Amino acid sequence: MNQNRDFYAGLVATVFFAVILFVLIPIYVKVPSFIPGFAPPPDMWPRVVAVIGLVMGVLALVLAFPKMREASRNQVSSLGNRVLGNKTHLMRFVIVLIVFAAFVYGMPLIGFVPATVLLLGALFIMTGNFERKFWMIGLSIIFPVLLYLLFTKVTHTPFPEGKLLSLSLSDLVTL
Amino acid sequence: MWNELLYAFEAVATLPNFLAMFAGIWAGVIIGAIPGMTGTMAVTLALPFTFYLPPVTSILLLVALYKGSTYGGSISAILIKTPGTASAACTVLDGYPLARAGKGGKALNMALVSSCIGDFISNISLFFLAIPLATFALRVGPPEFFMLMAFSLTIVASISGRSLVLGIISACLGLLLATVGEDMYGSFRFALSEDMKSGLGMVPVLIGLFALPELIKMVVFRPEDNAAAMKLGDNRLTLSEVRGSIKSIFRGSIIGVILGAIPGIGPSTAAFFSYSEARRTSKNGDKFGEGELEGIAASESANNGSCGATMIPLLALGVPGDVITGVMLGAFMIHGLTPGPLLFQNNIGDVYALFIGILFSSVFLFIAGKATAGAFTKISRIPQTLLLPCILILCVYGIYSIGASPFDVTVLLVMGVVGFAMMLLNIPAAPFLIAFILGPMFEDNMRRSLAISRGDLGVFFQSWISWGFFALTVLFVILTIRREWKKWRDNRNADASSAS
Repeated sequence: MNQNRDFYAGLVATVFFAVILFVLIPIYVKVPSFIPGFAPPPDMWPRVVAVIGLVMGVLALVLAFPKMREASRNQVSSLGNRVLGNKTHLMRFVIVLIVFAAFVYGMPLIGFVPATVLLLGALFIMTGNFERKFWMIGLSIIFPVLLYLLFTKVTHTPFPEGKLLSLSLSDLVTL
Repeated sequence: MWNELLYAFEAVATLPNFLAMFAGIWAGVIIGAIPGMTGTMAVTLALPFTFYLPPVTSILLLVALYKGSTYGGSISAILIKTPGTASAACTVLDGYPLARAGKGGKALNMALVSSCIGDFISNISLFFLAIPLATFALRVGPPEFFMLMAFSLTIVASISGRSLVLGIISACLGLLLATVGEDMYGSFRFALSEDMKSGLGMVPVLIGLFALPELIKMVVFRPEDNAAAMKLGDNRLTLSEVRGSIKSIFRGSIIGVILGAIPGIGPSTAAFFSYSEARRTSKNGDKFGEGELEGIAASESANNGSCGATMIPLLALGVPGDVITGVMLGAFMIHGLTPGPLLFQNNIGDVYALFIGILFSSVFLFIAGKATAGAFTKISRIPQTLLLPCILILCVYGIYSIGASPFDVTVLLVMGVVGFAMMLLNIPAAPFLIAFILGPMFEDNMRRSLAISRGDLGVFFQSWISWGFFALTVLFVILTIRREWKKWRDNRNADASSAS
């Protein structure tokens, strides 16, 4: 079972570090025209790390390949396969990503507290366990509000109120 | 000297001082236990209150908050796999498996006992070794720092678990993410957006990597025991369990004191260093990471051991070792005290009062920790389906409050997804974390050393401290290669015998 996972881990690492080394570093690590003293340039360390990561990724692939071929005869499946092989799991994972993305992009629009209320409610629903419905509904509303009060009173954190909620009637007419 | 000590004792043993310490420790424990709220935040928030207090009481309050928050970080690390502070990250590795096995109370008690012992040894060293340790700390320049960090990074081999290759991949990922943002000469690296120019916050990355994958795993796989609470087993810590970890506690405390006295290192490094040493030397080394009490003892004694020691360069040299002692330096100056050699000449009474007060703080830490841990253990009884989503919301609020930045919340959620992917691929998260914490220190000191020496590599071998750490690094690398070779050969032999 581990062989499959090692193979995938090696594959992902190889691709990731190759992209870093050959695509991202040349574009996103700027080397200034003047560096004080004899200090190494800013891209030196990321390059060293990316090369080590790439070598390790390839090594993981090489070490896992013969064992994986052997193991495939026994029809073993990995946790990674479980996700890819089971559409329900994959769908749930995609929903998690959608919920997280909706929170990040929705929070500035509807405000921090409503966004966290919705996020908590969504997460409770996604657990698939509805034995404690009233607890879930109650906590979804009360818990974020309590945290909001705690953090605004203690740390004076200015949480976003939300662009949509702060719009006045005249703004709406203008829109 | 004894007369001065007696006067100092009389000055410090007052109700207001004890109340300040007790309140500070208690508040610190609770703040440290809340993910996203750090000791720095606690000390900074308390600073305005100290304007109205006498100098010694003010500093004692701030020190108490620092110590309380350092211990408090272990509570959430053990019970909900969410390190309240970066220094408690190492405690997660053994604490959470113990909590899952119904031994959360036992783990909390071990964290408390080792924290108090580490704290007490640190306080004693502050009393007797402030000057020699400060002198030693002054000799640690960028090259020595670099060698120390290189040795610390060899910890990756100890915490890689089943596969060293995957451990190194994880560490490389951590080192790479640590380079995001502005470097020491003002160049931007991997700044894909405006927010990324200031780099990735340690707390969002840390919490995202450890706490969130559990929630995503629960949502995606919906295991049978979802609705169940964690078991509550025997929570008492026996004398034999403490005795079994005592070596690691003392070693961790000493590591904490030495590393804490060096400005810029901090409790996180001390905790990982101590954990790694305990794992290397313990007869239960193989069980580390699966719920071993000695692992908690090693990391907690070191991180609390470094708390008192961070005061050494501050008091003896006037050099703040980290952000918290930087805030404390401000508190000293507000009250007309200037830390440094002159403090020991002009205000020796205040210094002794402070030392004695800090000694008392270990006792208060034990009382506050004991009282609070019992209440926190009840968290284990909340079903996972209710607990984990609430933890995410708590983390979201805590992390947003650090810098009022939505970007930090995004980092938290993205790191949660990355952590889940790492979990699926069996890539260990601990090496990522240690590399992310140590990486910037390693790189900065390497580049600084080379800048000082005009590119001469000999700068790394000019002092006995550098040579010492270099020798230890080489020795450990050789031992690791030997161990891995032996493991590979044994596996091959086992495969061959099973095939025949």
